[in-house]
Amino acid sequence: MTTTEKRDEKEEVKTDDGSPKIKSRPIVQLGIFLISHSPVFSVVFSAAGVLALLLLPLLAKNTYISENALMPGSARSMLSNRDVSGGSKLVKDIKNHEGQGVEVQRLIGQHMSEMGAEIYYQKFHPEGNQFHPLRFFSGPDSDTLMGNVSCASYGVNVAGIIRAPRGDGKESIVLVTPYDFINGGDYEALSLGIASSLFSLLARVTWLSKDIIWLVADSRYGDYRPVAAWLSEYHTPSFKVSDLLKCDEINTSGSFRRAGTMAAALVLKVDGRSERFEDTLSIYAEASNGQMPNLDLINVVNYLAVHRQGFYVKVEKVVSLLSSSWLKIFGEIFEAVGKVAHTLNPNWNFGIPVADYLEASATLASSLYSQALGIPTGPHGAFRDYQVDAITLKVSPRFPPDSKARQHDFFLRGAQLLEGTIRSVNNLLEKFHQSFFLYLLTSSSKFISVGVYMIAFALLVAPLPMVAASLYIDGCNVLTKSTSNPAENLKSWKWLGAAKQVFALHLMGFIVSLLPYFICQVPGQHSPTNRSIMWVTTSASLLLITFVTIPGCSPFSSRLHGTKWAVLKSVTISAAFIGLCLMSIINFATAEIGALLLVPMCLMVRPIKPDLRSRRMKSMLRALCSMVLVTTGFPVMFFAISRGLTGKGLVGLSLGGEFWTWLESLWAWKSATYLYIGMVHLPCWLLCLCILFNPS
Amino acid sequence: MTKDGGEMAEEQKKKPCRFWIWALASVVFRLILISFPGNLNLSSRPEVSTPLTSIRRLAEGYWLKQASMSPYAGSMYHGSPLLLSVLGPLTVQRIKGHSFLLCSLVFVIADVLSAMLLRGIGQKLQMAYGLNARLLGVLKSSRDKGILPCGDIAALVYLWNPFTIVSCVGLSTSPIENLAVILSLYGAVTRRVPLAAFGLVMATQLSLYPATLTIPIIFILGYGLDAPPLKLFLQIRSVEKEDTSTSAVSKQAKLKPNTRLPFLWKTVVHFVFWVLLWSLYLLVLCGLSLSKYGGLEEMFTRTYGFILSIEDLSPNIGVFWYFFAEVFDFFRNFFLIVFHVNILFLLLPLAIRLKHRPCFLAFIYLAICSILKSYPSVGDAALYLSLWSLFVNELTDMKFSYFLFCGYLGISLLSPVMHNLWIWRGTGNANFYFGNAIGYACFQIVFVVESVSAMLNHDRSLRKSNSNHREVEN
Repeated sequence: MTTTEKRDEKEEVKTDDGSPKIKSRPIVQLGIFLISHSPVFSVVFSAAGVLALLLLPLLAKNTYISENALMPGSARSMLSNRDVSGGSKLVKDIKNHEGQGVEVQRLIGQHMSEMGAEIYYQKFHPEGNQFHPLRFFSGPDSDTLMGNVSCASYGVNVAGIIRAPRGDGKESIVLVTPYDFINGGDYEALSLGIASSLFSLLARVTWLSKDIIWLVADSRYGDYRPVAAWLSEYHTPSFKVSDLLKCDEINTSGSFRRAGTMAAALVLKVDGRSERFEDTLSIYAEASNGQMPNLDLINVVNYLAVHRQGFYVKVEKVVSLLSSSWLKIFGEIFEAVGKVAHTLNPNWNFGIPVADYLEASATLASSLYSQALGIPTGPHGAFRDYQVDAITLKVSPRFPPDSKARQHDFFLRGAQLLEGTIRSVNNLLEKFHQSFFLYLLTSSSKFISVGVYMIAFALLVAPLPMVAASLYIDGCNVLTKSTSNPAENLKSWKWLGAAKQVFALHLMGFIVSLLPYFICQVPGQHSPTNRSIMWVTTSASLLLITFVTIPGCSPFSSRLHGTKWAVLKSVTISAAFIGLCLMSIINFATAEIGALLLVPMCLMVRPIKPDLRSRRMKSMLRALCSMVLVTTGFPVMFFAISRGLTGKGLVGLSLGGEFWTWLESLWAWKSATYLYIGMVHLPCWLLCLCILFNPS
Repeated sequence: MTKDGGEMAEEQKKKPCRFWIWALASVVFRLILISFPGNLNLSSRPEVSTPLTSIRRLAEGYWLKQASMSPYAGSMYHGSPLLLSVLGPLTVQRIKGHSFLLCSLVFVIADVLSAMLLRGIGQKLQMAYGLNARLLGVLKSSRDKGILPCGDIAALVYLWNPFTIVSCVGLSTSPIENLAVILSLYGAVTRRVPLAAFGLVMATQLSLYPATLTIPIIFILGYGLDAPPLKLFLQIRSVEKEDTSTSAVSKQAKLKPNTRLPFLWKTVVHFVFWVLLWSLYLLVLCGLSLSKYGGLEEMFTRTYGFILSIEDLSPNIGVFWYFFAEVFDFFRNFFLIVFHVNILFLLLPLAIRLKHRPCFLAFIYLAICSILKSYPSVGDAALYLSLWSLFVNELTDMKFSYFLFCGYLGISLLSPVMHNLWIWRGTGNANFYFGNAIGYACFQIVFVVESVSAMLNHDRSLRKSNSNHREVEN
């Protein structure tokens, strides 16, 4: 709330400048100083914000195990060759039955129950993600689609539970292996092998105090959906008999079994061949709306994988950034500065080599991107909706899938890694809480905590309240002079007209973001392009209606006399400030990227007419700048530009289709980014447009 | 609240028809929101329904009573037994799958009634303002030109305030509590003593804190409506005497030239009598309805006792729950006293300073209660914000209006986000939500302080303009 405090000072100033000189306090004087020099400070703060963002890779800290109870790697592995060969046998059996969906499920179920687990099959319906306009923040959905399901398409999850000998059945650890029962590849089957080896070990150990659930998710319809369906059944039991039970191919009459609250979940996938000499382990952690699992979970896996099993651990990164020349220049500058600092004082060790900087920046960019998108990067995202910490581990072996000799070693190491992790989680007395939830990764062993990355954001948005206050004072002074009618002396209520306009446009933004829901209800098959055209036309007509019905809203109306734009801009900036601050709490990455677009646009925009009329170089440049900023600020335009940068240039109507599809994916995943675009970014952009074309 | 702002500007055009259109629109808007309750899920929000005002708890209490148990069993219900008898039967009626539809309709009616009463209060206050301004010579023309129709504004602010809408649609009983408070003020302003007494007793019975309104109501009845300080009138009179002009004949002019306003003891005694009568009546009713379940003693411990001892520590937008969740048990009683005495400490100084403006005093009391309440909800804020807008004429120069507006907006949007972060995502903790509550309290305090200082400045400026006026005449 430091920014609010700042506002406070600033507002105090407002009152002081009208009344005769009262000796003001230093903090008020500071406020006056900041406001009166707001153009300088806003440039300085914004630049500092961008610089701080670029500096983030340097400020990353090494990860450490925060929760003492975890003690990763302190116990010796108990995995025996017998367990591993059991796993190998399962993989061989699956290969023999390849493509026969039901047979494979039965085989896995049989294998589990032979190891002493309670097994059951769960049928689910593949379609679940639907757009509910008003249900963004109400937590996990409780109602599943029960009506008119057909037997044509459904999936079957197989789950086995090992009851812990030392537990009371109130806690559990979940292990998920997605497997496509119809056309599963050779590599996918390997994940079943690893999990099976582990499971047979866990079935006989004595130290287990949390139940273990092994879920073989039917990934015929994507990885995410089966896990989400299983979780929703697990947490919100439905007492209606599902129609799916009648579609009997496999006996699923056994009841759905549960094993207490989940302490953690690990999703294991094996895919592709490693490009490196070692086996590669990729960690995916981003869940919906930029939520991350507790950092300790990643730490444990990373520690065990690197220091015990010798995996090469990596995190997703934006590869194109690695070769970017401008980033390299920054890296070189930072390295040079770091070296100079080191010579001045040997304790200052913040410089890192250029290669590391590039690597870290690429990872950070990817981390920011997937958080901002708000779409989970794997099936682990489903767990986060129920406050369960989960990550996806994607293992790529260095051998081809049919090499038997190496397979044994691979199974052993994979299962040992999982065993170690589960053993650590098993030690936990409470749920994960000790370490960070809000962080960005710059490598698998380095992170930036919320306290650091918020500085970059705060610097970026700090000019907004300053400029708003200074504009407010200017606008009020101008208005006081211009109003001839003394009866209209509502001194401190002059912002009401502007607030009305801002509110009207935000309301319109809200309606525009609800429109896709109704467009989807339009009967008949429509291509995304058609749908986007429908959307654009309805939104445009809505905008026209707003401009016509609410006087003073339109940038072209004659009623709006020229002086009002300062107050309007002030209110717009305040709205943008509130919106960005809210968004930074919901999803930091979206707010950061949004602020990079919105802040310069809101700060720069001015009525273009007087600038063009004056025909001076400076004002022409200013007009051009605001034009460019407003153009790039339009969400569709930004989408097109970002597509163009990644090499997929799009023009014309296909762009609309693409954009529609992109937005559809956002709302299907309940991403708050969608709401942000509709309810903060778009209205602010429209308001900037209004200011730009203000006839003054 | 932007909407309200818009309306204030609209209202300056003085179109009486507009008022009814907007009022009707607000009712339609409420009805639309009521028609899809599942999606909004407002009734489970901690900002809207507190343990005292939640309709779910009321339904539970009613169910317990139907099952021949005390409605207060199991610490579920903590409201008045009379509310239970009135609203209880409505909670069990299901119409087209909507379980609380009838209750929602009752709340909508309560809101509309409150708005109409506010309008009545506003019209009285507007008349008084015009009269006083003319007496002081600030306003020259006999028509009330330049005076904002504060009744219409207050009514529309009440009807369109998102806080009111949310607490009406979110099925909290605060619309009824607010109605009782406004009813008592209306009774006092229109000098209907039994009505004022009834409203006060009902409001106190429903939520205890409106008991503080006894002081302002006695002032209204004893001294009359809000007016600038007496000194100003005396100055004017002395000027008039020198001029030996005999122009305005009003009740103020009949004053004896002493510095004290006559206090109408008779009306006040009348009021006290009615208060006693209504309290007795209510107590008898409550006693009858609870005769099998522990009687009045049970009621007092489970309602007032519950409010004063802060038993329920579930989060709300107040500041007490967090503190009393943290405090050691052996200090608990001490801090309970300290926290509650806060309100009592503020009563007397404010009453002395603002005794010439009793309605404004009532607003300040309600705002302070809303800050220092043990279970506050946005319904309380809705009440004092609409009372505040009764004084738009006096408070035109209020400072920080835009800052406060942004603050209220930001806080009310932030609150669900923080709650979501804490409860649903698990990435935040109680401090996040409590920080928001502290921010809310701070904005409320700034709001109260600024309102009071704007009002006092208004009085000062009247005096200044008055003395200038005299100098010119001399």
